[in-house]
Amino acid sequence: MTVRPTPGLVWRAAVPWMLAGLLAVALPYVLTSGFALSLLCRMAIAIVFALSFNMLLGQGGMLDFGHAVFLGFGGFAALHAMKFADAGVWLPAPLLPVVGALGGLAAALLAGWVATKRAGTAFAMITLGVAELAVAGVLLFPGVFGGEEGVSADRSAGPALLGYDFGSQSQAYAVIAAWAWAAALLMWVYTRTPLGRLANAVRDNPERVSFLGYDPARIRFRVFALSGLFAGLAGGLAALNDEIATSSNMGPEASGAVLLMTFIGGIGLFWGPVVGAVLITLLSVALGTVTDAWQLYSGLLFVAVVVWAPGGIAGVLSAHGPVLRAGRVGRLVPSYAVAAPGLALAVLGVVGLAELAFRLQAVRNGAQPRPVFGFVADPLAWGPWALAVALFVAGALWLRWAAPRARAAWQAAVQS
Amino acid sequence: MLAGLHKAFGPTRIIQGVDLEVLPGERHAVIGPNGAGKSTLFHLVSGRLSLDAGRVSLGGEDITGLPPHAIFNRGLARSFQVTSLFPKLSVFENLRAGAMRGHGCGHAFWRALDGYGPLRARAEDVLHQVGLERRRDVLAGNLAYAEQRALEIGVTIAGGASCILLDEPTAGMSRAETERAVQLIRAVSVGRTLVMIEHDLGVVFELADRISVLAEGRVIATGVPDAVRANPAVRTAYLGAAAEALHG
Repeated sequence: MTVRPTPGLVWRAAVPWMLAGLLAVALPYVLTSGFALSLLCRMAIAIVFALSFNMLLGQGGMLDFGHAVFLGFGGFAALHAMKFADAGVWLPAPLLPVVGALGGLAAALLAGWVATKRAGTAFAMITLGVAELAVAGVLLFPGVFGGEEGVSADRSAGPALLGYDFGSQSQAYAVIAAWAWAAALLMWVYTRTPLGRLANAVRDNPERVSFLGYDPARIRFRVFALSGLFAGLAGGLAALNDEIATSSNMGPEASGAVLLMTFIGGIGLFWGPVVGAVLITLLSVALGTVTDAWQLYSGLLFVAVVVWAPGGIAGVLSAHGPVLRAGRVGRLVPSYAVAAPGLALAVLGVVGLAELAFRLQAVRNGAQPRPVFGFVADPLAWGPWALAVALFVAGALWLRWAAPRARAAWQAAVQS
Repeated sequence: MLAGLHKAFGPTRIIQGVDLEVLPGERHAVIGPNGAGKSTLFHLVSGRLSLDAGRVSLGGEDITGLPPHAIFNRGLARSFQVTSLFPKLSVFENLRAGAMRGHGCGHAFWRALDGYGPLRARAEDVLHQVGLERRRDVLAGNLAYAEQRALEIGVTIAGGASCILLDEPTAGMSRAETERAVQLIRAVSVGRTLVMIEHDLGVVFELADRISVLAEGRVIATGVPDAVRANPAVRTAYLGAAAEALHG
């Protein structure tokens, strides 16, 4: 007897993927500037990387502190392939990410062989060690990894494919977006395979899995290897985009960034990391041009999510799904509207404090006070500081009063 | 089935030479006072703990020292005294996880799980058997206690193991829930070998074909319920007042 999924279900699952594909095709026609295109490329790479990270954290219960190692090795592998292509080997640019994926897989097989023997805290600590080891190891072989400068090549110098040389940003975007879409789809399909489900089971209760005929360590190893493969693919895409790979790409900062974006997006749902990757990439680029403090903001956002919304942005959004379907959003508007000014005040206060603090050093060194969002504030005077503190305290008190009411309104809307 | 088992934790000797034979197809209950080593015995047989000495065999095959998953794959499944499920998976997913190995599911990542037809049918069957069809898509972590205990049994039997160990399946249940659990255990043990640890003597005498009494790490009696009930050693060592009540 074979049980087939009903056609309706297949269609419902296919619609978001088709929409995402359409969006990826349409976006470069809407956002035509070179800046926007490179931002879109960054987002696509971050999406693949964050999804591969969540194969471990959200789906497999493995906190990998060194995930950028696989991105890094993927990048180096792809760049060396690119150099071969520049030297005349027939390897068109769209195939380079495959080499990246193999590089990530090879690194993950090696690291996973040690790390996946353990779970939980021990696993996390081993990956931390692997990350240190990898960065140090890469610097030991400047002939292969280019030392501090890294390895660089020219993606357009390789063989052309159908007349395209992939030198322009828009052609590179087409390759990167297509790979990102395919990789995301493959990672979603994986969640519906035996290994994907076993990963969930191992996350929830490894001991019970071992009493159901599977060795949890073997499951972790396989999941780890697959995750490394996709992280390597992301590294290959980044190599294609940047035409350079350096050891700093695989350092602790990059590993921390992917943890941040995945958790902020939400580890409990498949599409959570996508939200986080898009948002954090946008924040880093958009805020990065306005203020020096953007990393502080993404750190604060991370802490806020961990404390108040452990399901991430995706978790908050999906909690409103039932309300939306029942057509009861209207009931939420009043109490949410009451809470919103409190949130705005608190955020304004925090931003004020952060910007003042970042300006303080510069002004002490003799720079003129720069405007903060149009306001000129002197960080040496007490007035702006007092205002920022007052805004924050007022917002916090407001939220303390309004947030429980908004929450109660949501609960009532879900239950009725 | 078990020969000369020994297990010590540091200086504390928990199991001191247990010999026990369970016959194919019977329902065998293991009883004994708290601390007699009943759960430890199960851990030793199922591979959760390693043996200091002795041999365990299953259907003539030596399974001593094998890891839990290898023992499961030779046909022995077990449940846990403290419910051990996958809390963030649905009831159906829990049962399917239990049935996967028995339906030839390896670690495949190139094949959809929905494509394993008989597996889905098996999970649905067990779902009905344990009476949780109306809770099919609820997360196991959100079930009521008695429902979790029923699911615990379901996950254990879903793989189709020929020998099943149940560790206090009715612990903490109300009288009505216990009654339902007894029906369930009776139904699922048809055609299999069942070994259960149970404190509720009513359940034991209702279900068991034979009973073994464990006290201070040794089997002090094995036999049909009436023989065990009448055994003076058992009465002094364990049953005591409870036996008086039963006879009364």
